[in-house]
Amino acid sequence: MPELSDITNEYIREEIEEFLERPEEIERNIALFSRTSPLMQQIAAALIAGDMVTVDQLTRQALDDGVGAFEIMDDGLIAGMGIVGIKFREGYVFVPEVLISARAMKAGMAHIEPILAASGVEPIGTVIMGTVQGDLHDIGKNLCIMLLRGGGFVVIDLGVNTKPDEFIAAVREHNAYIIGMSALLTTTMPNMAKTVEAFKDVGLRESVRFMVGGAPVTPEFGQDVGADGYGKDALACVELAKKLAIEVR
Amino acid sequence: MRPVRKGPPISPAKIKLQGENFTRLTGEWMTPRRRFLSALYGGRVDKVPAMTLSSVVTLEAMEIVDAWFPEAHLDAEKMARLAATAYEELGLDTIMPVFHSQLEADALDAATWWGTVDNWPATSDHVLTDPEDFKIPSDYLKRQSFEAVLGAIRLLRKRYPDVGIVGKVYGPWSVGYHLVGIENYLMDTILDPDKIRRYLEVMLPACMMSAHAQLEAGADAIMWADHANRELVSPETYRDFLLEMHKEVTVEMGGPSIFHCCGETTDRIDYFAEAGWDCFHFESQVDPYVAKQITGDRMSLMGNINNPTTLFSGTYDDTYEACMKVLEAGVNGVAPEGSVPLGTKMEVLRALSDSARDYSNAHRPDGRLVVHDPPANGRVV
Repeated sequence: MPELSDITNEYIREEIEEFLERPEEIERNIALFSRTSPLMQQIAAALIAGDMVTVDQLTRQALDDGVGAFEIMDDGLIAGMGIVGIKFREGYVFVPEVLISARAMKAGMAHIEPILAASGVEPIGTVIMGTVQGDLHDIGKNLCIMLLRGGGFVVIDLGVNTKPDEFIAAVREHNAYIIGMSALLTTTMPNMAKTVEAFKDVGLRESVRFMVGGAPVTPEFGQDVGADGYGKDALACVELAKKLAIEVR
Repeated sequence: MRPVRKGPPISPAKIKLQGENFTRLTGEWMTPRRRFLSALYGGRVDKVPAMTLSSVVTLEAMEIVDAWFPEAHLDAEKMARLAATAYEELGLDTIMPVFHSQLEADALDAATWWGTVDNWPATSDHVLTDPEDFKIPSDYLKRQSFEAVLGAIRLLRKRYPDVGIVGKVYGPWSVGYHLVGIENYLMDTILDPDKIRRYLEVMLPACMMSAHAQLEAGADAIMWADHANRELVSPETYRDFLLEMHKEVTVEMGGPSIFHCCGETTDRIDYFAEAGWDCFHFESQVDPYVAKQITGDRMSLMGNINNPTTLFSGTYDDTYEACMKVLEAGVNGVAPEGSVPLGTKMEVLRALSDSARDYSNAHRPDGRLVVHDPPANGRVV
């Protein structure tokens, strides 16, 4: 059984010790980081600290050293973002810190994504993401997209103020079966229901799965609008998408 | 001539509010305006007010008075007519004509999408990257969005001298989201905090001008929104960036102040009270008992009725029950937690005033209601 002391990077050790509380998460992260290389741990640490420049440099260095793109993504970038997600969920950090770490992740992913795209590896699935009609807020949606891509999904980002017809057209065009809808405003949340209804009207409801999320959205509201699942945050969104992908396969 | 009213029967609360002599028959001795203002300061009231401090505009209301979005955002007469449905149709003690959140940002040259009949306006492009580039236009208060709001407040004051009129101002923190873009703004709270302080400093006068103009036009109170909520930033962020500035705002505003911050704010309500706000308009994520325990008599509390689940998706009975629970906690007035979805049924919204009336009747042993302290039920912060 790996121990905390097996992790070489002091910053990562301190993060696990100070911010992780759930035994299964402590165990999982110790197991993860204790098997990763010092360079991957450095990438994860820089990402947690929101150091975009260092993440960019180390990702390039790792690729130059012959480290695989998947290894860098899983053991460096996503592993680091996982810690950030837990700190966010527990209220140790807030949106500004998450955005800064997400920016660092983006810097790393800019080197990784072209390699992944050229590798021909089958994605888990295609997710259509959009902020619903009338709502121009996209922080949460963008974080979800970043982690979904990191989690092996192809994501089609429809942006903000997305009309039901645009969701339908994207599903048809990309042959997708998972849709993620986000809303920040209680005034725009009802447009989630309108989108689900629009899918019913064109006979597509049974062939897709809807995920909903956003600050004022609750699991109960998700049920009310006929969604198939609710994600409290970006990490939960990825887990939900994986579950739904299995369901509809 | 107003179109013939459609929809369910008029609420008893509305009938009660329509006749001047009705006051004698029901034992209500305050006008809605007086009731609202007394409650806002935590004073005695003949019944707990039921209010709108945000928008209660619905598609149904637009049809009743033939004033529709988006025109009603930029036309004083339509705005006033639509806003007045809060009193005329719902029996609420206040009218709030500033439906949207774009007022200051639009007049400060942010690109505004005014929405559609069933969609709200929003800022569609951000215009500012450096606080030193910020300027208040010389015709700031003459812009169409301001003319409409100030004109509507004047009309409402004239037409409804006995009803509470509430103005709304987006503070510099929230205007910053509109002008700078929320992602860059939030990241700079960590990467370049001095830049954020400078944004706040340069934008504050524009927000104060808006508050003063609305008070001068006839608003009884200003609801000031700065969205430093838990879903976005830490309580320390409020303390470090906004607390001292808000202390100045509450002194300089020159009228009763209601603070609004969305979401779960339990961890920062104490700071809001310290800032000197007269009242906090709070959302349903906050336990009203806990909020009351934190604020005590330092700041009154209004709001707390959930929009999506209770008002939009729920029934009249769901809302009535939710209001009763909030009233039992000792809040100073019930109101929707924020602007209600446009598809909300007016029949459901009428439960706000009905529940406040029934609660007050049941808790009025000597004809004068004293807002109750929260029960000693062991709840602690």
